[in-house]
Amino acid sequence: MANMNLYSRGDRLFVIVNMVLIALFTISTLYPFIYIASMSMSTGFEARAGNVILTPVGFTLEAYRQVLSEPLFWSSYMNTFIYTIGGTLMSLAFIIPGAYALSKPQLYGRRFWNLVVAFTMWFNAGLIPFFLNMRDLGLLDSYFGIMIGFAVNGFNIILLRNFFESIPRSFEEAARMDGANEFQVLWKVYVPLSKPAIATVALFCIVSRWNGFFWAMVLLQDEDKIPLQVYLRKVIVELSDDEEFATSLLASAYSVETVTAAIIVCSIIPILLIYPFLQKYFSKGILLGGVKE
Amino acid sequence: MTEVRLEGIVKAYGAVQVVHGIDLEVREREFVVLVGPSGCGKSTTLRMIAGLEEISDGALTIDGRHMNRVAPKDRDVAMVFQNYALYPHLNVAENIAFGLRIRKEPKDRIAASVKEVGGILGLTDYLERRPADLSGGQRQRVAMGRAIVRRPKVFLFDEPLSNLDAKLRTQMRAEIKRLHKRLGATSIYVTHDQVEAMTLADRIVVMHDGRIEQIGSPMELFLNPANTFVASFLGSPPMNMVKARIVAGDRGPVAEFGGQKVPLAPLASLTNAVGRDVILGIRPEFVTVAHEDAPGRVGVDVDLVETLGSEALIHATLRGEPFVIRTDTVGQKLLDGISGFTIEPHLVRVFDAETGKALPGQVLEQ
Amino acid sequence: MSTEYDPTVGQTEELVIEAREAQRDRRPGRIRKIGGHLRQEWQLYVMLIPTVVWLVVFLYKPMYGLQIAFKDYSIFRGVADSPWIGFEHFQTLFGSDQFLRALKNTVIISFYSLLFGFPMPILLALMFNEILNQTFRKTAQTIVYLPHFISSVIIAGIVITAFSPSAGIVNTILGWFGMDSIYFLTRPEWFRPIFVGTGIWQEAGFQSIVYLAAIAGVSPTLYESAVVDGASRWQMVWKITVPSIMPTIIIMLIIRIGNILEVSFEMIILLYQPATYQTADVVNTYIYRQGLQGGQYDFAAAAGLFNAVVAFVLVMTANTISRRYSRTSLW
Repeated sequence: MANMNLYSRGDRLFVIVNMVLIALFTISTLYPFIYIASMSMSTGFEARAGNVILTPVGFTLEAYRQVLSEPLFWSSYMNTFIYTIGGTLMSLAFIIPGAYALSKPQLYGRRFWNLVVAFTMWFNAGLIPFFLNMRDLGLLDSYFGIMIGFAVNGFNIILLRNFFESIPRSFEEAARMDGANEFQVLWKVYVPLSKPAIATVALFCIVSRWNGFFWAMVLLQDEDKIPLQVYLRKVIVELSDDEEFATSLLASAYSVETVTAAIIVCSIIPILLIYPFLQKYFSKGILLGGVKE
Repeated sequence: MTEVRLEGIVKAYGAVQVVHGIDLEVREREFVVLVGPSGCGKSTTLRMIAGLEEISDGALTIDGRHMNRVAPKDRDVAMVFQNYALYPHLNVAENIAFGLRIRKEPKDRIAASVKEVGGILGLTDYLERRPADLSGGQRQRVAMGRAIVRRPKVFLFDEPLSNLDAKLRTQMRAEIKRLHKRLGATSIYVTHDQVEAMTLADRIVVMHDGRIEQIGSPMELFLNPANTFVASFLGSPPMNMVKARIVAGDRGPVAEFGGQKVPLAPLASLTNAVGRDVILGIRPEFVTVAHEDAPGRVGVDVDLVETLGSEALIHATLRGEPFVIRTDTVGQKLLDGISGFTIEPHLVRVFDAETGKALPGQVLEQ
Repeated sequence: MSTEYDPTVGQTEELVIEAREAQRDRRPGRIRKIGGHLRQEWQLYVMLIPTVVWLVVFLYKPMYGLQIAFKDYSIFRGVADSPWIGFEHFQTLFGSDQFLRALKNTVIISFYSLLFGFPMPILLALMFNEILNQTFRKTAQTIVYLPHFISSVIIAGIVITAFSPSAGIVNTILGWFGMDSIYFLTRPEWFRPIFVGTGIWQEAGFQSIVYLAAIAGVSPTLYESAVVDGASRWQMVWKITVPSIMPTIIIMLIIRIGNILEVSFEMIILLYQPATYQTADVVNTYIYRQGLQGGQYDFAAAAGLFNAVVAFVLVMTANTISRRYSRTSLW
């Protein structure tokens, strides 16, 4: 496959056209990010006039100064870290032992327990009952509520369970004969052997925590507790409708657009930092989870 | 003194029994090999001794202690697994130390034990390596090291050599034998490879369909197989089986088949069996090749001669069934002209055609 | 060594497996054994309990709460004590133009997403597979997977900025061609194209992973023998690659159809506004407005129940069909 010279003219044309099309798609994927980054570093005046195309126009970091001087930005950024780290750890604390137990053939009613998990992927009570339940549990406006309320999800359990099942039983048996109890088998044998699968699940959790906004918006009224995405939404949706705010900015070095763009850049950065890991594990994880039941 | 005793051990999955009442005594320092075809229940039996499978019925005692309900870790046994079950995230030393760490032994004692075991197995230079960086033979040694380090009363081996290539297998076989001599630990070893069984065992237990067919030393089983299964299972190439009928001859019983005759040993059991259908078991190496004119010759149709150097295998047909003869090449000038064989009467083993059991009284001394 | 040729080997193995299955089904003396089993394996159940308790508290208890769809729910009385009113909410629901409109929009938006969004990842995968330069291929893949990991708020932010009437790049470009600027997000006829296009932009690259994996499973010898037979690359794509991944394509299609009621309503909430409700409002956004914003919990729960039941039937049907089709379920 490697040598182009072996190709006929038609094949060469095909390969080149294909490459150009892929390049175009790739550029169209990348362009909005570049556009937003440039917007965030342009002056409000140029931005509002629609002059930002590819590179910053009238370069200024005023929008960032505005964003970073807003206490709500910092508190929501901090909150997102709390929800992401705390929520992910909580998820793993539930999912790892649960998936391990479900992977063991000696578990009584294993089929039933697996169905209990799988059913939640097929049938969902919906927004209202979930919300009322959270309210009845007293988990509105609560850090703990956000973290615990979304700790477990069927797909992640099944993904990890499938991986555990693929580990040869002799590993467990050898550890048993060496005197390990169930917790030691899990912690000292299965967890180290399952690092890639656990990393995949952890990354699933991190991304969904970092990006999650709907339930945080619904469940949190207290501004001090909202995560970054909810803050971002407030800025985008609420400020852009706010004519007064918009006109007050007319003459200044920043605008609704540049401020929005600056927040977007700030909130994308952490995702970009873990993106290499995401890429490594996600494609594997998708296939791992898709194999069976 | 008895170390491991199995009395009427049964394994059943629901209504289906796969091990039907095994009785076995493994003596102190003895090396016993359970051998048989896949699915014969040998691994299940071993796993019941280890405590990895529940014993459905019968009693297991180790050192006089009833073990049926004792957890694997409390049975004082160690097991070497077919796939070694080495932890890829731990290095060799940590793998060997795993059991001791779980048992919370003092750190300095663990270190000393690991060092000693590493020395015994020639792993001293590899203690820091991960299993992925080891050769097949080295991994095998680490797996044994993990068992040895705990100094258990009983070693259990579950087909430990089956993942190695032929050459390494021979080498590791010798090493296991040497190790057993050195440590003198009671060992139970499961394999489907009769060569491993013959070379390693003090006593062999041949199993088939969840039952013990015969127990004995390798030579006992080779020379005096109790039935056709054991006879054809042990030995390579396997024993030839020829359907025949016993008739009375001039000087004692004679086996007759297709117009040919083979004189049998003048034993009472054989003389009394005149007129019965039997199966003759003839070891490929017990016969002498014969040419056209030899007296008392049993004729075969030679299909093919495989020369292996010092010996040759003659593949022939006798009454439509394959018949193999093994012969020395040294001093045999004419391998082509061979058309039959002769055999001494006492080397022919006679089995009942119906039950497959050897007729009584036939004993071949080494 | 003689055993290696034993023809009964496989059978005996099967027998053991059958026996194990039989044990699972019958479990003789089960009660008697459970005590001993628990004594030995209690740790396993300790590990399972938190997950099961969580599922009951956070997912199964709301299912019990769904009964308010048949009740006149009052916050003060709670779920259990509110009075039953039968199918009243459902009657109101199906008499409501807004709900019927939301149902229609859901199906239409899903259908467009399927029509335009489903072929894209397949095309991308086929095209990626034809790229010879590995560095180029890796770089391009890295970039097109990225939007999948970006939150819907950010994506919405980008869309709003790009389509904004004065500042947005889209209107700037229209201006170059002498066209008047359009306030896209207030125009009902533009909502669906923007929403579906955004979805494709965000997910097509990532969804191609499944097809790339299927393509990777095609034996290289098929291509080699085709090369020897003089096939062109174009022919190989259509005669080898596409037929080879057809099972994957069909399974994915079945699943997508099964999920037709699943519209990413988070994105809609971020992008729609009263002016575009007529084309943008879907069932879940309707429920959100009626229930969470309007406080009509019982009525919204009825809409949710209807949605969940239909979705469940569709998903189970799709699952059964794909299971039958591939003999390996994707769940």
